[in-house]
Amino acid sequence: MSLLKSQISAHEGSFPYLPRLARIERITRLTEKERLFKIALDDKKELGHLSGQFIMLSIPGFGEAPISISSPPGRGYMFEICVRAVGNLTNALHSLTKGDMIWIRGPYGKGFPLNDIRGKDLLFIAGGIGLVPMRSLIKTVLNERPTFGKINLLYGVKSPDEILFKDEMSQWEGSGNISIHITIDKPHPEWKGHTGVVTTLMPPLKIDETKTAAIVVGPPIMYKYVIMSLGDKRISGHDIYISLERRMKCGLGKCGHCQINSIYVCQEGPVFRLSDIRYLREAI
Amino acid sequence: MEYRFLSKKGIALFVTGLLKEFKVYGPVKKDGFSVYGEIASPSDLNLLHTPTHLSPKQYLFPPRETLLKFRNNNSENKTSIEPVAEAHDQVLFGIHPCDIHAIRLLDRVFAYGTPDSNYLKRRDKTLIIGIDCIPDKHCFCRSVNTMTVESGFDLFINDIGAGFVIEIGTQRGKELLSKYSKTRKATIREISKVADFKKKKIESFVASLNAEASTLPLIYSGSYNSPVWEKIGKICYGCGSCNLVCPTCYCFDVRDDINLNTAETERYRVWDGCLLEDFAKVAGGHNFRKTRAERLRHRFNRKFQYQVDKFGGLFCVGCGRCSRTCLVNINIAEVTNELIEESNKRP
Repeated sequence: MSLLKSQISAHEGSFPYLPRLARIERITRLTEKERLFKIALDDKKELGHLSGQFIMLSIPGFGEAPISISSPPGRGYMFEICVRAVGNLTNALHSLTKGDMIWIRGPYGKGFPLNDIRGKDLLFIAGGIGLVPMRSLIKTVLNERPTFGKINLLYGVKSPDEILFKDEMSQWEGSGNISIHITIDKPHPEWKGHTGVVTTLMPPLKIDETKTAAIVVGPPIMYKYVIMSLGDKRISGHDIYISLERRMKCGLGKCGHCQINSIYVCQEGPVFRLSDIRYLREAI
Repeated sequence: MEYRFLSKKGIALFVTGLLKEFKVYGPVKKDGFSVYGEIASPSDLNLLHTPTHLSPKQYLFPPRETLLKFRNNNSENKTSIEPVAEAHDQVLFGIHPCDIHAIRLLDRVFAYGTPDSNYLKRRDKTLIIGIDCIPDKHCFCRSVNTMTVESGFDLFINDIGAGFVIEIGTQRGKELLSKYSKTRKATIREISKVADFKKKKIESFVASLNAEASTLPLIYSGSYNSPVWEKIGKICYGCGSCNLVCPTCYCFDVRDDINLNTAETERYRVWDGCLLEDFAKVAGGHNFRKTRAERLRHRFNRKFQYQVDKFGGLFCVGCGRCSRTCLVNINIAEVTNELIEESNKRP
């Protein structure tokens, strides 16, 4: 009981579910379904996030959901999220305009371990909106480009009109800092590039497995196949980082929705080192 | 441990006294079931020694609980927000040892990491008065080491026929007992009758697990691919009743309710259940536990393996409520014994 008593007194007056007020600063339409929102926290205090972390975003009456942060750390009280309209809350968010209010809790979870990948060649592999949290890390990495080796980004989407951050990607590539390989799932009349799932981009790639870290973010179905391809390239599980998507209602390791065995993804993830969870049942 | 003797008649006086200061919740009869309910007078109490259908977790972790209130001022384009953590002084009266163990587990869960202020505030205002019990055919607390409690209560009542022998758990419990009842020090003879009751209790068990409690996490871990999951998955309705009645199931959903004039929104949490189909489904449509077999396996493992890793202690307290409630008679003790038997056959 003494543990409980001290916990109560230490947190008297603190409400973990209480969000901060924020306003939409700018909306950019990226595709038919995805928009990029620049958010400003009303209290003008920093969000203080790491690449790979997420926030709980809410609109009163439409509920709350976990949303990954798409901008790199260090932009004060401003940050960006990129949201696909798929449900009640995300559709409501898409109906908002500049200056409208939203509510933010977080950041939550563990981000990408920047210190562990510094100095290495980086292989980014994104599927669909997996590019959203990855963009935060890519931009961080590009800010300190000289401390990394060769950088490749493999990006798979269903069709050409679903490609996110097109202009940004050509900037990244244009500066010669990163080589980008995009593939679409099925042939499309307007598409002249590579066709096939994202793993089909892997075989021709020259990779030094002794100094490469792979960062993988995509839909649940993608991981198994990408991990096998990375295995073919002899990249160790220790050097592979993946971000797992799960349903979340609290972000505090309580509500149970994101639980995989004894792991709470909202606390111990969403970013995991593959070697830590490769044999965790139901993870991948 | 200090023991006091209270006469049979004295208990009514004690409850009447408690009602002056606290909301009192205890076992009552409702629609033929023994459940926990609010007591208005001592005669409402139905201090049976058999298990209650519902657990007392609802008084610490309500089925529906407001977390926040948003208020719009549309003319000024402003919204105010107010956190809500409702709690009142309350006594949980007549709580059985398994449920006291369950509350101790919930305490650990809600205090872990970022503490849950709503639960902790309510817990802080709660007194627990336990009572010893006699198992029915579903109880197997003896097999999971929750048959007795040494702490986690303010007072603990032992019925010895001629009266009650009351164990003092906390100073606060002791003060309330002396404030609202006439007790005296229990005699050695009276205390020895407590042991007689415990003997009768032990003799009354029908259900039991065929392995030591400490071996259960490993047995469950080795049973991931057992055919048992498919077998019970075929008959399970996925109704989540087991989640509702379980004293250690604490998963919840967070939702918003907007009032008709849109001026006020309530954010609240409600009990959720991992047996329900959408529990692990994400916005893109992927369901991480699509089948009932997978969801049952998850729930059983939460009780015997997953939460043990995280919080220590089995999360099944052997109350048998899920078995008692299950519409298709999935029986947690029988399922566990099947897994134990399979595990014994493995090389």
